[in-house]
Amino acid sequence: MNNVKNLRTFPGNRIIWHAVIVGIVWLLLLVLNNNIDPLYSSYLALVAMYATAMFGMTILVGLSGQVSLGNGALMAVGGYVFALTSMNWQTVPIIGWQWNAVWSMAFAGLGGILIGGIIGGLAARLRGPYLAGLTLGLAVGVPAITNRFPELLGGENGLMLSVPYPAGGYAALDSALGSSSDSSSDGTVDPNSAVEEDQYAELDLSEFEQGADLDADLAPEDLLTDDDLLTEEDFGVGDQLTDDDLLTEEDFGVGDQLTDGDLLTDEDFGTGTDLGIDGGDLGTDLEADLDVGVGTDLGTDPAVDLTGITDAFDSGFIIERWQASMAIAVACLVAFAALNLVRGRQGRVWKAVRDDPVAAAVVGISPSGSKISAFIVSSLFAALAGAVLAQILTLVAPGAFGLGLSLSLLVGIVLGGRSSLLGAILGALLLVWLPELVDGLSGDRGWPEQITNNAPNLLYGLLVVAVVLAAPGGLTGTVRAWIDKGRGKTRSPLS
Amino acid sequence: MTNFIDYLLGGFSNGAVIALMALALVLVWRSTRMVNFAQVGQAMFTTYVALTIQQSTGNWVLALLVAIGAGAILGVIVFFLVIRPVKNSDSTGAIIATFGVLIALQAGAGMIWGGDPRGFIPPVDNAGLEFAGRIWPISPYDILVLSATAALVIGLTLLFTKTSLGLSMRASAFNPEVARLSGVRVNRMLISGWAIAGATGAIGGVLIAPASTISPNSFDILLVFAFTAAVIGGLDSLIGAVTFGIGTGLVISLVSGYSDSGNAPIVALVLLALNLLLKPDGVFGHHGARSV
Repeated sequence: MNNVKNLRTFPGNRIIWHAVIVGIVWLLLLVLNNNIDPLYSSYLALVAMYATAMFGMTILVGLSGQVSLGNGALMAVGGYVFALTSMNWQTVPIIGWQWNAVWSMAFAGLGGILIGGIIGGLAARLRGPYLAGLTLGLAVGVPAITNRFPELLGGENGLMLSVPYPAGGYAALDSALGSSSDSSSDGTVDPNSAVEEDQYAELDLSEFEQGADLDADLAPEDLLTDDDLLTEEDFGVGDQLTDDDLLTEEDFGVGDQLTDGDLLTDEDFGTGTDLGIDGGDLGTDLEADLDVGVGTDLGTDPAVDLTGITDAFDSGFIIERWQASMAIAVACLVAFAALNLVRGRQGRVWKAVRDDPVAAAVVGISPSGSKISAFIVSSLFAALAGAVLAQILTLVAPGAFGLGLSLSLLVGIVLGGRSSLLGAILGALLLVWLPELVDGLSGDRGWPEQITNNAPNLLYGLLVVAVVLAAPGGLTGTVRAWIDKGRGKTRSPLS
Repeated sequence: MTNFIDYLLGGFSNGAVIALMALALVLVWRSTRMVNFAQVGQAMFTTYVALTIQQSTGNWVLALLVAIGAGAILGVIVFFLVIRPVKNSDSTGAIIATFGVLIALQAGAGMIWGGDPRGFIPPVDNAGLEFAGRIWPISPYDILVLSATAALVIGLTLLFTKTSLGLSMRASAFNPEVARLSGVRVNRMLISGWAIAGATGAIGGVLIAPASTISPNSFDILLVFAFTAAVIGGLDSLIGAVTFGIGTGLVISLVSGYSDSGNAPIVALVLLALNLLLKPDGVFGHHGARSV
């Protein structure tokens, strides 16, 4: 029914409509993010990250009917590309623009598209269980690749990203090697190291100049010879010290000894204000230092904008809030793209191939092309989510992208509703909320740790089985079925 | 060359266990035409049961027998509660449901036995045998594993070829409708298939446990290896599963020996991808893996 209505509408209308919906949601989320406790902001960031990845799962599993456990591995691709590009390519300007997080995100997305295209090409030839098995191998195998290249990818410990500042790029540290990257040369992040380097440069230069002058001034007759050495004859006997010369107690007066009265008391010191140590003074001093030391030294490079960093700290920059707003931005952009794809022609193509590949082929749809395109779109979303996760964790490590992550995505999509984008959002909420709920419950009741830690997964597993058996449409599918029943309509829970 | 022979010999006992897990996957495939991704989860669970029995009684044979029984029962439970209700309605759902079982079993084992890796003491010595003046990478325990696997494979082959139960199972796997018309109780055959698969997986779990440690997630990698072996063997063929199970074990042993054991999953992935690309029906199989 819906589809017929959609066909009649001019597609431009639909795109504007979707943009309005996503824009309003984005605005509401930003307001929410700025008015809640930073702790909840970090949950919000996780929900947005999961939702980003699961929009891709909706398309791949729900619409295209391909069960994939590889999306956790594709998130790893995105996360590692993000980390590597922000670490190593930070000094490379593209089309005259300074490198920043957006470039790294773009490259992470490209990486996802590339890998997704390769796997999708393989996957499109395979039936359900074979594909699930192959992607299972991917979920287990890809994290192992990081151990294969420990210098580049940091091995088991992964790569550490430094805290992302909104004004500059990203300084990245390779935690495995413990060495700082060479990203400071353009001064994007660490003002101190840049200033120090400058000072060394000046010092070195002046020393070299002085040395050169001295060499030139020295004449041969200025050199010291053996004759210049002092001998015993140069000293008289009387010059030697005897025991009499030792100082005795009598040489000191009694009064010279220090008494308790001589101890300095508080009164001898001024209070803190006298010395001018208060917040305001320190702040201005620091700013003055930054202005003088950094602004002038690096003033030749217009792209360096350190005032943004200090401004951010002055206005109470909260990292959780920034991470959440970044994750929300990505999730909203991805949601906009997903909405247009799912509710447009491509969504109907994916469903057609899922429901009957032969019939789809008869009407001129390429089944394998449709499957590959679903894989590529979901890989792109997964890679972007991986880049967001890397920024939330400020770390990329194989442990964060293991089989557990892939299984979580599958659980979320099934519980929320396999073939609806709203289901992906509900699934993301559930993935973040359920462990917290169990934690809260167990805190009240004093359950042992091994119960608390495993209870969410036990619930997930049982719920997945229950949902597949009793309500294949998940949360959204079931609610929609109720609504349709009230209206006297019927449709498949997976449509 | 001595290294090569050592690595090769060292791979046999691992390969035998991979073969057992692959056999379990094939048995389920033959009975219900689906891959049970919870198979290693079931095996992990029954191995924990065996570990508990062994620690309280000290009797390895009793532990193995209990694990076999528990594996068969668990297989039947999973079949009745999860597989039978879902089977025909939704093929995507059936795959997802087996992953749900896997997640629940792993979490359940973590709840009962904790997440820390546990050791499983082998019933016989697990140190390499000394023979002809050098130590070989084959221990008395490896010989036990290999002979147990051989006995099981021979037993299953006899079951399927020489008994009426085996004949009925083959008939209902080959064509359920015709089998039902010929008086075969197809439903019982499906249950038998899941029970035998569960027991086979349980034996594999108990046999592999002493080689390393056991934890709720420690068998994940075994699932990848077993799936690889089963698919290369054709998913339908017992002999294929055994052959390529042992083959996978040997390849992994060589890769681990010459480079690093961390590369084994990558090699399994490459083997699987190449096989699905070049010969998706497997070497011994005759059912289409490709859909288009």
